[in-house]
Amino acid sequence: MSLEFKKNQVAFKDSISVEDAETLLEWLQKKANAKVDLSACTHLHAANLQVLMAARPNISAWPEDSRFTRWLKSALGQI
Amino acid sequence: MNPLLQQFLTEARDFLQTIGEKLLQLEKAPTDAALIAELFRVVHTLKGNSGLFEFPEMTRVLHAAEDLMDAVRNNKLAYSQELADSLLDAMDFVGMLCDEIEVNGVLGGNYANESTRLSDSLRKLNVAAKVQTEVTAPPPEHISTPEPPRLCLPTESLAQLQLLPEIERMQAYRLGIQGATLHWIVYTPHPECFFQGEDPFFQAQQTPELLWGSVVEREPWPKLAALDAYQCNLDFYMLSAASELSLQEYFRYMAEHTQIQLVSPQWLIVPTGDLNGGPVYDDFVNDALALLQAGDLQRLSRIAETMLELSSPDLWLASALRWLLLILELAPQQVEVLQALLESISTLQPIAWDSLPSWPVANTVVAATPAASPPPEQNAPDADVPDATDAPISATVTKVESSRQLLLETIATQQGILTLPLAESWSIGRMQAAANALGGCLHALGAQEHLPTLERASAQALAAKDTAPLLEFIAQFLLSQSPVAVETATFSSTPSTPSSAPAPRIDEPAPALEHEPEVKFNRRSEDNLLGAKSLKVDQAKIDRLMNLIGEMVVSKNALPYLAGRAESVYQVRELSREIKAQYAVINRIAEEMQDAIMQVRMMPVSFVFQRFPRLVRDISRRLGKEVNLILEGEDTEADKNIIEALGDPLIHIIRNSLDHGFELPEIRRQAGKPAVGTLSIRAIQQSDRVIIEIQDDGKGIDPEVVKRKAYAKGLLDEVALERISDQDAMHLIFAPGFSTADVVSDLSGRGVGMDVVRTAIENVNGVITLDSTPGKGTLLQLSLPLSMAVTNVMLIESNGLVFGVPMDNVVETVRIPRSNIRSIKHAKAAVLRGSIVPLKALNALLCIDVAPVANADDELAVLVVRFGHESVGLLVDNFRETVDIILKPMNGVLSELSVYSGSALMGDGSVLMVLNIKELLQ
Repeated sequence: MSLEFKKNQVAFKDSISVEDAETLLEWLQKKANAKVDLSACTHLHAANLQVLMAARPNISAWPEDSRFTRWLKSALGQI
Repeated sequence: MNPLLQQFLTEARDFLQTIGEKLLQLEKAPTDAALIAELFRVVHTLKGNSGLFEFPEMTRVLHAAEDLMDAVRNNKLAYSQELADSLLDAMDFVGMLCDEIEVNGVLGGNYANESTRLSDSLRKLNVAAKVQTEVTAPPPEHISTPEPPRLCLPTESLAQLQLLPEIERMQAYRLGIQGATLHWIVYTPHPECFFQGEDPFFQAQQTPELLWGSVVEREPWPKLAALDAYQCNLDFYMLSAASELSLQEYFRYMAEHTQIQLVSPQWLIVPTGDLNGGPVYDDFVNDALALLQAGDLQRLSRIAETMLELSSPDLWLASALRWLLLILELAPQQVEVLQALLESISTLQPIAWDSLPSWPVANTVVAATPAASPPPEQNAPDADVPDATDAPISATVTKVESSRQLLLETIATQQGILTLPLAESWSIGRMQAAANALGGCLHALGAQEHLPTLERASAQALAAKDTAPLLEFIAQFLLSQSPVAVETATFSSTPSTPSSAPAPRIDEPAPALEHEPEVKFNRRSEDNLLGAKSLKVDQAKIDRLMNLIGEMVVSKNALPYLAGRAESVYQVRELSREIKAQYAVINRIAEEMQDAIMQVRMMPVSFVFQRFPRLVRDISRRLGKEVNLILEGEDTEADKNIIEALGDPLIHIIRNSLDHGFELPEIRRQAGKPAVGTLSIRAIQQSDRVIIEIQDDGKGIDPEVVKRKAYAKGLLDEVALERISDQDAMHLIFAPGFSTADVVSDLSGRGVGMDVVRTAIENVNGVITLDSTPGKGTLLQLSLPLSMAVTNVMLIESNGLVFGVPMDNVVETVRIPRSNIRSIKHAKAAVLRGSIVPLKALNALLCIDVAPVANADDELAVLVVRFGHESVGLLVDNFRETVDIILKPMNGVLSELSVYSGSALMGDGSVLMVLNIKELLQ
């Protein structure tokens, strides 16, 4: 249901709502070498997507849904 | 359909009507500011109302119209003929949508295009005047092209298509060649869209039949520290195999931010890769072109494969070769495409698709349904395509030739259809359909001379249930046409021919646009036949009807008198009986008519009640009180005048109750009552009256306080103060100038509350009663007549005079033997069904010093009337019939005589005085 922040990594769980974008952005603004684990993510709101696109963190794991991953990879320029 | 929608539709029609009228008036007085403001207001209201429902197409157009009118209103834009035309167009469209909603309850998805076109044309007018529209108006570059997708490909789209990886493009090309319609969707969400609850990413992902999609940033990303997460900076590109209609349906809420473009599969053929290096290809291109000319595609494909193996896969040339092979595999008949690709290999330039015919026309199969003969102009896809003269092996034909060819193909297709094996039961219909299609084609070809032959053939075929005569006709007909055409036609009718669907589609929108106004107006005129089911009638007209029926009721009452005279004066009993019979008929009709007219004027009390929840909420919020409002019997109906007269008094009552009646939650708790007070408003119909009860569980009215206040205000003298009962004291709150509140608040307490209420209620012949228990609450009861036009009265006789008593007051009529009347001191009383009824002589009440007359059996006529909550018996001389009268209130000096509530003219010309029982008995 939400973002789980660890020391240098954030894990996306299930669906990430528009409200989470602010938190995510603030967190990413602080971490220079942040990692993002998307493996448990099923959907993220466009606001979160654009935060990721702007911040370009390292994606440590992609979601299971291949279609979703394809979208994300194209968006994050990692095709 | 829900009542809200129903009401919206009715109102929308009115608004549209008004808008039309105002626009026409504006043409005469283009600078009339009041008119413009009014027009804006109407458009604005209509837009607001439409927003309640899910009709984005409608709201969008209205929104654009509103912005435009706003600009006109603020003198940023001058009124012009063109503007009026656009607005009228838009309103016609809205009207059409209303019709559709009325018929189907919902809107079909196929209006998005039209809606966008109209709103764009409205916005263009706005933009043309360099008006800065508000955020709601999208910046011009986001406006999708107003024309439906055309064949000429914008360069930007071509560039965008290269975003797709080659493998995806090849996949899509394959689908396109196999007949799928491909659409390129550019979705540029509004920057503020996150605040409107949109998730563009989700929207994009869920695009129907999505083949490929991508997200890119619109503007370069700012530094992370300066990023605003809630300003959408994303553009979405998608390739979908869904139909245009379903895509429009899907993106209907963001049609302004979406471009949907039909994509010809060949546009996907864009080789990509490293342009440098690799072997020299000139020889290959020359060889390949020669092979292509010779039609030896197999060898062509072989040498291409060899070349591909020699090249590094990352090279641009390798990519081009892969495409070449794919085309050879999927669509070898598209010679121009192959040729262009080969030329492109030699020049290393991307293919200029604009110079090629968008689609090889000769290979197109007309989607020939047997039942319908396709109109020729829509089946000529090459009509708008620039002449493909630069393609060497050109299948270019003139427009006429091409449509002719298509028609011949259609005919050939019929041949195929007729030879298909099919169940017996269907064959007749199929033959008929084929014959119809053939007839249509012949018409379109101008080959009318063949029509009789066709008719004969089809008649024979139908009679014999055998397709042979028709087949023979087709064969002969095709033979009579040019052999080349036959050949092409036969070739194309094979079902495996690729590219069946897209080609005719491509050009469809263009002719559709031309036909559109016509289609639209057809629809509208047709819908007008359906007609509006509700009539809007000026109230004055209904009032006139009401008056007329009133007159009629009175004059019909003259008939019984006439009958009586016929018998008593002229001694013609027969005539008298006939008049009575006729009277019965007229009476029945008049009553029905009266009833029907009353029905027209009837309105539910919910008309007044509906504003209470809001009122109660607002006031109680402001006063810091907690009140729960209960409404009951909202569908009780009464005459429009009565209902309208109720509005203000009820609001007064509710305000008073909230302000003075309910205590603050704290005090309520201390008094052991629930903190939340209950205000219940009930409407009940009791015979021909509407009773409205307003009950609160507040602190009630303290008679002592009222008495003191009344004394202080000089409404009571000391003697009265001593004598007055608590009940009467409470009713003092209805006295003019009375206010119990110590502080004049902005809600109530200015001393104009309750007496105004009472006057308003009594003006419509209503009665207001008050019952209050200190500490427990107050009950106000309003009793109102259902209608005020005609009053039903009972006639009584006393001392040779005839009086009327309103039937509302009459409980019963009895004859009581004089022996049963008891005297208690000076008052008389009788026991009626176990309860004591006080008796009063009407003569005495009217100060006529004559005793009531008894009948032969020494029984007195007693009219039992309702007085407040008790019954009182009036001793009269005799009872007469009941009549309907139009009660005219007493005027001038007579109005002082409160014992009469009014007078009425009787059928025989006499004047009837109607008693006011309440005043009489007090």
